[in-house]
Amino acid sequence: MGAKVFFATVWKEFRVRLHAYPISFMVSCLTTGIYTNLGAWLMYHCFFEGRLSSDFSLYAGTGDYMSYVIVGSCTYLFVVRTCLNVSRTLVTELREGTLDSLMLAPFHRSAYFLGNMALQTVTTSLELLISVLIGLFFGLQIYHFSPGKFIIAVILSLYGFFGISMMLGCLMLYTRNTYITQNTLFSLIFLLCGITFPKEYLPKALQYIGALLPVTDAVDLLRTSLLGGMTAEDWSATAMRLFVLSSIYILMGFPLMEKAERIALEKMEG
Amino acid sequence: MISVTNLSKTYEVKRRDNFWTFHKEKIHAVKNVSMRIEKGEIIGLLGINGAGKTTTIKMLTTLLEPTAGSYSFDGIDAVEYPQKVKKEINMIAGGERMLYWRLSAYENLWYYGQLYGIQNTVLKERIQSLLQMVGLWEKANLPVESYSKGMKQRLQIARGLINNPNYVFMDEPTIGLDAVITSELHQQVKELARKQEKGILLTSHYLAEVEELCDYIYLLSNGEMLIEGTKKELTDYVFTRKQCAFSVKGMDKQVEEKLFAALREYDTEGEISEMDKGVLVTSERELTAFLADFALREGYVIQELYQKEPSLEDAIMKLSKEAKQ
Ligand SMILES: Nc1ncnc2c1ncn2[C@@H]1O[C@H](COP(=O)(O)OP(=O)(O)O)[C@@H](O)[C@H]1O
Ligand SMILES: [Mg+2]
Repeated sequence: MGAKVFFATVWKEFRVRLHAYPISFMVSCLTTGIYTNLGAWLMYHCFFEGRLSSDFSLYAGTGDYMSYVIVGSCTYLFVVRTCLNVSRTLVTELREGTLDSLMLAPFHRSAYFLGNMALQTVTTSLELLISVLIGLFFGLQIYHFSPGKFIIAVILSLYGFFGISMMLGCLMLYTRNTYITQNTLFSLIFLLCGITFPKEYLPKALQYIGALLPVTDAVDLLRTSLLGGMTAEDWSATAMRLFVLSSIYILMGFPLMEKAERIALEKMEG
Repeated sequence: MISVTNLSKTYEVKRRDNFWTFHKEKIHAVKNVSMRIEKGEIIGLLGINGAGKTTTIKMLTTLLEPTAGSYSFDGIDAVEYPQKVKKEINMIAGGERMLYWRLSAYENLWYYGQLYGIQNTVLKERIQSLLQMVGLWEKANLPVESYSKGMKQRLQIARGLINNPNYVFMDEPTIGLDAVITSELHQQVKELARKQEKGILLTSHYLAEVEELCDYIYLLSNGEMLIEGTKKELTDYVFTRKQCAFSVKGMDKQVEEKLFAALREYDTEGEISEMDKGVLVTSERELTAFLADFALREGYVIQELYQKEPSLEDAIMKLSKEAKQ
């Protein structure tokens, strides 16, 4: 029964979101790709003026800032897209008037959310692929591609992003606000998780906060699997930590989501 | 059998005093409501806006947790085991919600069917027969956003039957529909109960609708059950008051006074109130013949004479007055 709900939800989301606007999806893919890379390029040329402090390569594991920041930006794009859409699903159902009818049915929520996540992963991957192609044009170079590490990093990252989505979803459903909630979180992620600059540049206190967000470890793992730079031990330790952290998010997220659902149904007038 | 005992729901809302502070306010939306629904019966839950109908229905459909009281479904504690109950019930609401507008009718039903874990071959047949039943089979592949109000409402009925529920809850299903579609819907509701043996709870604020459809009626006012009974039992309280709109050529105060005197002779409790054209006459007794007779006797030319549907507000006012005495 879980599988039925999973596939049905993938399909439904596809129909509702993409089928209706296939052209705008393609356009948005292209523009996202260009903006992501343009942003990285501007970062490099305006902020750093092409000169990097000597400790950059020490922290970053690579001296190539362009590649560093493009991989970071792509990960950020992935987080934003997944978390945004997965966490927003129930609020969207609420707004479109289908939350009632959805909740009437006796189905497993996890299959529903995973279905959403799966579709989102596929569409974001398409977007990313285009971003990476454009990135090559902007000077992205992949030095040490290690497929095994990459696959593990992607799986763990998805797991972590799913956890964040659940927590964010609760907040959205509870506050009935998507805009402030999501933008606060995304700004935090952008600043604290080592997206465009090594997190070691931040004050210690902020580094600790950053460490509580699974994105920090995810971006490190992904970057290393593409650009190299971490010892095998460090890599495994980071992977472990990401797994544990994400599990905590998910274990907390599900019961909280149930609560948030109940509150949303209570708040609903009419 | 569905049986609820002393069901209550209290909402807590935050009211903002100013920018910084707020206080919590309790809204007692439903108070100590008890009712029973059997298979094959149409039960009416009658009440004006804000009476607590939707809140009651949401508790019965397990969407809301009751603040107090018990709810048993075929002997199962429905508050404790909502998942078991969900399989056996469904809900149809008035308005245009509860459907994915960007999907087609077929796709909507298919998705909801998947949520209920219905086997694909069974589901296919059921979707076809439901869409045929509500007359949407030819339009099954058009997106719902292109549907008219009436078509959406019919699709909602199909959606509400997708899991072949034993009990169907309908929350003001005819709201905003025109007379033709309303009577079609009434027909379908009757068939669901009579032919398919489904237990139906229907809420409404139209007296006439409940009078036409329901075997047993509950009247809710301010969250409390004011009165309950079969249509026959309630007739004296709710459905008897006759109301007629009446006007004659050259109607003035004098005519009205004459009419009032005659009416009081006919029915000591009769009442007259002003309308934009002529007057509205209310009585426990038959009015049309009386009014026609009055005009004839006094030599007036009738301009307007028609019976009005008794209004729910009137019935509730009368009942509340009696309850206080
Ligand atoms: N989600 C809610 N939060 C707070 N108060 C509510 C909510 N829903 C309904 N109410 C209040 O509860 C009372 C009953 O509402 P409702 O059940 O919607 O009545 P009806 O369906 O008969 O119009 C009303 O006073 C309404 O304002
Ligand atoms: Mg209502």
